[in-house]
Amino acid sequence: MPRRIPRREFLASLSAAAAATAGSSLSLARAVLPPKYFEAGATPDPGPIFRTKALKGVDFVLRNSPTPRKYLIETMPGGVALLDYNNDGLLDIFLVNGGHVRDITGSSISFDRRNPAYWNRLYRQNPDGTFTDLTEHAGLASAGDSNYGMGVAVGDYDNDGFPDIYVTNFGKNILYHNNGDGTFTDVTAKAGVAAGGWSASAGFFDYDNDGRLDLFVTRYLDWNMEKSKTCGSERPTYCPPGEFPAITNILYHNRGDGTFEDVSLSSGIGAKKGHGLGVAFADYDGDGFTDIFVANDVTNQFLFHNNGNGTFTECGLESGAALSENGKMLSGMGIVFQDYDNDGLPDLLITQLPHEPYVVFHNDGRGLFSAQELAAGFGVLSGNSSGWGVGLEDFDNDGWKDAFIVQGHVFDNVEMYDGSLHYRELPLLAMNYKGRFVKADAGSDVPVAGRGAAFGDLNNDGWIDVITTSLGEAPKFYLNRGGELHWLTLTLRGKRSNRDGFGARVRVNGQTRFATASGSYLSSNDKRLHFGLGTAETADIEIRWPSGIQQVLRGVKANQFIVIEESVP
Amino acid sequence: MIHALLWMCLLLPPQSAEPSVSPEVLTLLQAGTDAESRSDFDQAIADFRKAANLDPTAGIVFFKLGDAYMKKHDYAGAISPLQRAAELSPESLAVHQLLGYALLAEGYASQAIPHLTMIHDYGALGIAQLQAGQPAEAVANLQAALAKSPDDQDLLFYLSRAATALSAQSLDRLLSVYPKSARGYQALGQADYEMKVFPKAMAEYRQAIAIRPDLPGLRLELGQVYAAGSEWEKAEEQFRGEAELQPGSAEAAYRLGNALMQQGKMKEAVVELHRSDSLRPNMSETLYELGRAAAVVDPNVAEHALARVIELEKDTPLAGQAYLALAGIHRKEGKTDQAAREMQEYSRIQNLKGP
Repeated sequence: MPRRIPRREFLASLSAAAAATAGSSLSLARAVLPPKYFEAGATPDPGPIFRTKALKGVDFVLRNSPTPRKYLIETMPGGVALLDYNNDGLLDIFLVNGGHVRDITGSSISFDRRNPAYWNRLYRQNPDGTFTDLTEHAGLASAGDSNYGMGVAVGDYDNDGFPDIYVTNFGKNILYHNNGDGTFTDVTAKAGVAAGGWSASAGFFDYDNDGRLDLFVTRYLDWNMEKSKTCGSERPTYCPPGEFPAITNILYHNRGDGTFEDVSLSSGIGAKKGHGLGVAFADYDGDGFTDIFVANDVTNQFLFHNNGNGTFTECGLESGAALSENGKMLSGMGIVFQDYDNDGLPDLLITQLPHEPYVVFHNDGRGLFSAQELAAGFGVLSGNSSGWGVGLEDFDNDGWKDAFIVQGHVFDNVEMYDGSLHYRELPLLAMNYKGRFVKADAGSDVPVAGRGAAFGDLNNDGWIDVITTSLGEAPKFYLNRGGELHWLTLTLRGKRSNRDGFGARVRVNGQTRFATASGSYLSSNDKRLHFGLGTAETADIEIRWPSGIQQVLRGVKANQFIVIEESVP
Repeated sequence: MIHALLWMCLLLPPQSAEPSVSPEVLTLLQAGTDAESRSDFDQAIADFRKAANLDPTAGIVFFKLGDAYMKKHDYAGAISPLQRAAELSPESLAVHQLLGYALLAEGYASQAIPHLTMIHDYGALGIAQLQAGQPAEAVANLQAALAKSPDDQDLLFYLSRAATALSAQSLDRLLSVYPKSARGYQALGQADYEMKVFPKAMAEYRQAIAIRPDLPGLRLELGQVYAAGSEWEKAEEQFRGEAELQPGSAEAAYRLGNALMQQGKMKEAVVELHRSDSLRPNMSETLYELGRAAAVVDPNVAEHALARVIELEKDTPLAGQAYLALAGIHRKEGKTDQAAREMQEYSRIQNLKGP
């Protein structure tokens, strides 16, 4: 059973405020409702939605090892996953580390990953909210000495009820099977999912609705240490991706026997070369098959439409989601594929480099998208920032998904080129006011070179928290202060569909979420589906499972975690 | 360029009549000239120097001696005999030409100027004036030279340097004479903006506006600083101020429209972009932005504006962008065939840019 953590200090202060204003319902409401419900100036400021804090027991540092040689891998890691690997109802944390980069020549590439400083790390959450490093015990210490870490994907690929972990690298990727006893086994060789080259984000999804999770891996560049070069004459820095050849992404089909088949070519995925970084999944045209969107860095964005027969057709340009409104290629990095305006259709929010707003491709229906970032408010939110990990989550439980984006420029010396840009930045929190986003205080005043971000309810209080990674630093935790509005968190349990329920379309009181742990940048989110319910005390839930089964639950009480099993006739 | 001019001038004879010289001097002149024709400049110099010793009042002898030094590329050695030649033959343009070049080549730009002025060589004169710290005069003369040789890369190079120097000099003068003036702050603001030091630029512009709130252009420039930092609300405020100050400014209306659009205020943006278009019709950028803004609120207006962009731009990248925007509008309207054709046009124009 999920554990309810005692309300935090904020609620205590709210109680005090409520007591002080007893007798005035308006005053009381002002004390507990978000400020958007009142006119500016008349609202008591409840302070930032998040407060940042260190989580006891989490001592990870993302060691990217920047060098004067400016190997491009140094500025790109690293991912973070929120998962409940031991099914105790508490979210655990998996963090991907980079590696020790040296001037490497020849074939003996080593990133010193045997050194514990460069390990990936698994932190188990304890019942008291502290964390314990169980990396070695879990069998996750071996990251591969010739692998420089990038990202992580989580999914129960063998439907045994325990989430498995896939780690992407520059080098060979690793699939860790969860043994269900707190340990993992590296099954990469058997599964046949090592890929190779420079992998970035990955995600589990079921493209053929056969009830087994398949695996998609984005790859960034056709690059290696020998091909590396620096750009910039007087002040060498990292080269843009266009300096290196594009490369294909990889689709692995789950055979159901613990092995995967590389179907990149036969599916059509391998027909397109790009500079893939982020990946997200949703059924954008409602045909019952999960589609794929790849955020490419300075190539057209890829929208792979699932034809329902094992093949995909890349239709980004025809759908209006390949280029910016000005016809420019995006420097796409992070991505989220969810419905921000509650019209029931999944939209796209893509982070990118400065001087262009983060892009919002609004799903107009009929398989078409239009760039709506200005109407959505991002023209004033992101002009000089570089965005990476991104999420659309309802942080204030008002029924509208808000945006959280980690930021920081690619170049660690960007200020020498342009004083208006920054290597270290604060994250962007933008609250959603019926489809229009407005900047809010993210609760941090320490800029970082942000990269990965994962979203989930870390302390099971019904309010979504955030964990982010930063180059050369410890992860940041943004704990939601909570409030009084209602919420509902669903765990899907597929029976005919994949056990995680990935690919299900879930509608709750007029909101829609597409079940997935993927999205953001290099990261994997809490797979549970969280809905803010505003003042509603009950919810009607409609689920369309990947199997095609429709399931409806009416009058479900708010403020609870529930598990919904697929209702197979 | 200097070398080329030098060699050209060497073909010119002295223009003043010379008094007769003795047969010995004539013999040495002939010997020196013969040596020159063999490119034996040391021998030529020795012969001409002997002749000069024999007849120190013969201008032609000193000219030939200086000329031989010039051909040897020994410009320092040429200066003294050419100065003597100029004393003896003050009307000779050839002497002044050689002397001007020699002085300029050796860095005596100020001394070269009178000689180059006499021969009306505006290019060399402009270069000398630039080096002598007279950028305004240099710009004028280099422009005069470019009028005759519009694509001369050396002249273009020196003109750009002269213009930069003139700009710096003017700014220095402005700041030294009127350090607390609106123009002074404006100039500083502009410099900071170009260096992307936006907070400082904003402060400078705000100072300028405080001193001369009626000065056109200040708010426009400050608005652009805010825009560069994506502070669109503040940019709007400044562009709006400029538009009020200069209601006839199409630029102010365009910038205001763009700032409104960036904030998602599409209806207001359409009004301002329309106004800019009426103040200064057929500006492709204005029409394109009008098309973008109107696509959200009035697709008919958007289509019309984007069609005008295509008409004006033909096959430029902006025309390609207009096709792309039109395709988006038409897809939304269900006109898929039309959208497909526009996407084809977009792709065609993209391909014109080459691989």
